[in-house]
Amino acid sequence: MDRVKFSDAILESAQMVTGDCMGLEQAFCVAACPMNTDAIGYVNLIAEGKNEEAIDLIREKLFLPNTLGRICAHPCEENCRRNTEYNQPISIAALKRYAAEKADDEKRWDLSVKDNTGKKVVIVGAGPAGAQSAIDLRREGHAVTIIEKLNVLGGMMRVGIPEYRLPRDVIDFEYSYLTKLGIEIKLGVEVGVDVSFEDLRNDYDIVILAHGAHVGSIIPIPGHKSKGVISAQEYLKEISLTRKSTIAGKRIAVIGGGDVAMDCARSSWRVGAETVYQCSLENMDNLPASKEEIEESLEEGVIFNAGYGPLEIIEENGKVKGLLIQKVASIFDTEGNFNPKYEGEKIILDVDTVVFATGQLVEDITKGSLPRERAGRYTVDSKTLETSIEGVFVAGDAAGTNIVIEAMSHGRKAALSIKNLLNAKPLDYGRDFEKEGSYKTKLDIPLPEGIENLPRLSGNFREPEIRKRDFLECDTGFTDEQALKEASRCLECECKFCMQECVMMNDFGDCPKDILDKLVIDGEMDPLLAYSCNGCDNCTIVCPKELPLKKIFVGSRKDFVAANNGKSPIPGHKVINMHQLLGFSWLFTTKRKKGGRK
Amino acid sequence: MLDNTDKVYGFMPGCSLPSYNPHAVVETTEFLASKFEKFSAVQKCCGKPTKAIGQYDLFKERFAGLQKDMDDVQIEEMIVACQSCYLTFKEISTTAVTSLWALWPKLGMPEEIKNKAKDSDMVFTVHDSCSTRFETELQDGIRWILTELGYKIHESDYSREKTRCCGFGGMVVPANPEVAKKVMVRRVETLVEPNIVVYCAACRSSLLQADAKAWHILDLIWGPVVYEGDESPLDVLSNPAKSWINRYKAKKGINKVVK
Ligand SMILES: Cc1cc2nc3c(=O)[nH]c(=O)nc-3n(C[C@H](O)[C@H](O)[C@H](O)COP(=O)(O)OP(=O)(O)OC[C@H]3O[C@@H](n4cnc5c(N)ncnc54)[C@H](O)[C@@H]3O)c2cc1C
Repeated sequence: MDRVKFSDAILESAQMVTGDCMGLEQAFCVAACPMNTDAIGYVNLIAEGKNEEAIDLIREKLFLPNTLGRICAHPCEENCRRNTEYNQPISIAALKRYAAEKADDEKRWDLSVKDNTGKKVVIVGAGPAGAQSAIDLRREGHAVTIIEKLNVLGGMMRVGIPEYRLPRDVIDFEYSYLTKLGIEIKLGVEVGVDVSFEDLRNDYDIVILAHGAHVGSIIPIPGHKSKGVISAQEYLKEISLTRKSTIAGKRIAVIGGGDVAMDCARSSWRVGAETVYQCSLENMDNLPASKEEIEESLEEGVIFNAGYGPLEIIEENGKVKGLLIQKVASIFDTEGNFNPKYEGEKIILDVDTVVFATGQLVEDITKGSLPRERAGRYTVDSKTLETSIEGVFVAGDAAGTNIVIEAMSHGRKAALSIKNLLNAKPLDYGRDFEKEGSYKTKLDIPLPEGIENLPRLSGNFREPEIRKRDFLECDTGFTDEQALKEASRCLECECKFCMQECVMMNDFGDCPKDILDKLVIDGEMDPLLAYSCNGCDNCTIVCPKELPLKKIFVGSRKDFVAANNGKSPIPGHKVINMHQLLGFSWLFTTKRKKGGRK
Repeated sequence: MLDNTDKVYGFMPGCSLPSYNPHAVVETTEFLASKFEKFSAVQKCCGKPTKAIGQYDLFKERFAGLQKDMDDVQIEEMIVACQSCYLTFKEISTTAVTSLWALWPKLGMPEEIKNKAKDSDMVFTVHDSCSTRFETELQDGIRWILTELGYKIHESDYSREKTRCCGFGGMVVPANPEVAKKVMVRRVETLVEPNIVVYCAACRSSLLQADAKAWHILDLIWGPVVYEGDESPLDVLSNPAKSWINRYKAKKGINKVVK
């Protein structure tokens, strides 16, 4: 057979199919995850009771499954179809914790690294961003050193996120992966104090700044200098490291409406507070904190003053004596600028401690070598995370992320850039920036038939009055039965309707896009593919985009015939030729007319 | 009753039906001949297989021969018993086309046949031809015939526009027999009752190859009443010699009836 020249109509239809087919589009949860973790994959493995396979799958992307299973801000759940349809997302994070607790085994960890390259990378900060960069670059065979100012690992996960949400042995166990891979970690060394940024640039080929945002901010209202005023960062750090607070009294006010404020309020009970107030400009309906955190704080008895702003810290002898707050009329002015206005009643909260959970800033550890922006973040190229100095990158909260999984994705992004740089390739070489990190999937499919709105299962929480007095974990996690039930709710979002209908396409690929890419890109198609289509149209009928597959498979046959001397290229079709000859021969045919022989 | 008795109606049984059951072809021809003042009949292939394997030019040439036959016997509207013929005519013929199945309710069921199966315990599932999945009038006709005969029907989830291919379509059997076999088995799995009624003889053959029991609707009209547990007629089409003998018999029969 000659090379087949496919007609324009066929090629155009094929282009339409490969452009519109959603068969390779990721599920909502996977696309939403900044690390593109295969959530749909592991949730369904858990549903089948395959916890080992589930944890292996998770570990392909995440070195911290048990940690993230507890504290991940889970953008996957927000985008879960069961959330967008019914407001009952799958507890994806909690299922990850379940799989990790059930089946994570360090003996199965992937410790393979490429041969040494002789290149040296230094990373400032042992938070999630730095750790992820370190892992990815070590695997490439580079020598990697992490410099961390604290004597403990984990960054804000260790000194921000409270222990009752994330036990510290979980962090240490999961971080042991780094040393197993051969990453060098120097604890208790502060860049800018013990060693300078310049030293790092001189001693290493690459520098990654991943030192987070650890400078607390205190709003300069009257009285903010009095004793008993503290930033959330200082407050939580001390509690995290010592389970005590040298500054907290018995009556505590926390200013802020985010998750950090909730952590401060709830930690206050655990260091002996008798009364805990919250106060924030945002009212109850608009609190930035997650629903779970608000609920757990309410259960523990935190008194909310959401919709009230702080006017003044009342002091006596240089010590906090109260907090004057007033109802908020509006937060933004008509131009949309932050400009809170107050009205009506003023209240004095009778407190001896005020914690400001009103944001955190990035410290400059480069002595002004790099340009910075809002909240002290370094200016970076958002695609590659490179800075104005070659070989210097910034990742994580120091470059603007807010949650652990985003910080990790930043770590990976920086590593991808550095991998290219150290291989003398352009930083964008071989990358699809659109799908690096969280993105919007093009999946747009109807809900499967007969779907029920089954309620979400959350973990098992200890009694609020008991748990608020200790540092033990609040949530004890899923039982086997709960995990199976919760995982089974997954709708398995994917577009494979045609593949469920069509028998033959399954022999040629995963979905029409996969099957027809070769035709679009190289102008080639296996004749057996074209000649295996029954032309039944079921594929098009179930396709959300009604893509014309039969038109391509059956329609292209005339192009095959044209390239094959006017005959079908399929050997078996010789029979058809014979059949047709007979079917048209005088022996088997007739034409008759009633009332007159013809 | 049909209003237009001035028109010359024609009947064409197709290929697989005469190869399978010449007796039913002859009975049907006789029945139609009795209903129309002006009536002709043609037996020939419409050329769909030629087209399906991609030989478009040859197909057009072959169809032109058929068109000439129809014109020779002055057919103005062709009644077809094959769904592929139906679509081929719609696409290319200058002659109007009607499906026998859509037409039958308008002609009525002969009195001696009506309700003949009223005492049968048989429950049928209809396997609709996928090529005419959107032709509801045609599908309604099949259900009308079964009910008129006195049989009960249990619809499957995959009926009418949702029907699935029997495996025979697109000339896949000689090209990719394994795939065709899988499609046949899958089709049978999606039908609820073990007893199936079809209105395409090729579909019937496919279903039999997947170990189902299947009757052509004309088997039920012209043949004996069947009961739960009865065996369906054998798969004649997988025997080429028998098939061609049958086709020849059908031709002879038509010649006898229409003169
Ligand atoms: C109270 C609180 C609660 C949070 N809760 C959640 C949550 O539930 N879920 C979630 O996803 N995210 C949460 N976050 C956010 C999350 O912790 C951060 O986004 C994430 O840890 C940032 O990672 P990183 O690696 O960029 O920086 P970090 O985790 O901040 O790590 C930076 C590291 O650099 C070290 N370092 C700083 N300066 C130097 C220096 N000069 N020399 C050497 N080392 C230095 C620090 O000690 C630290 O270990 C929370 C944050 C806070 C503050």
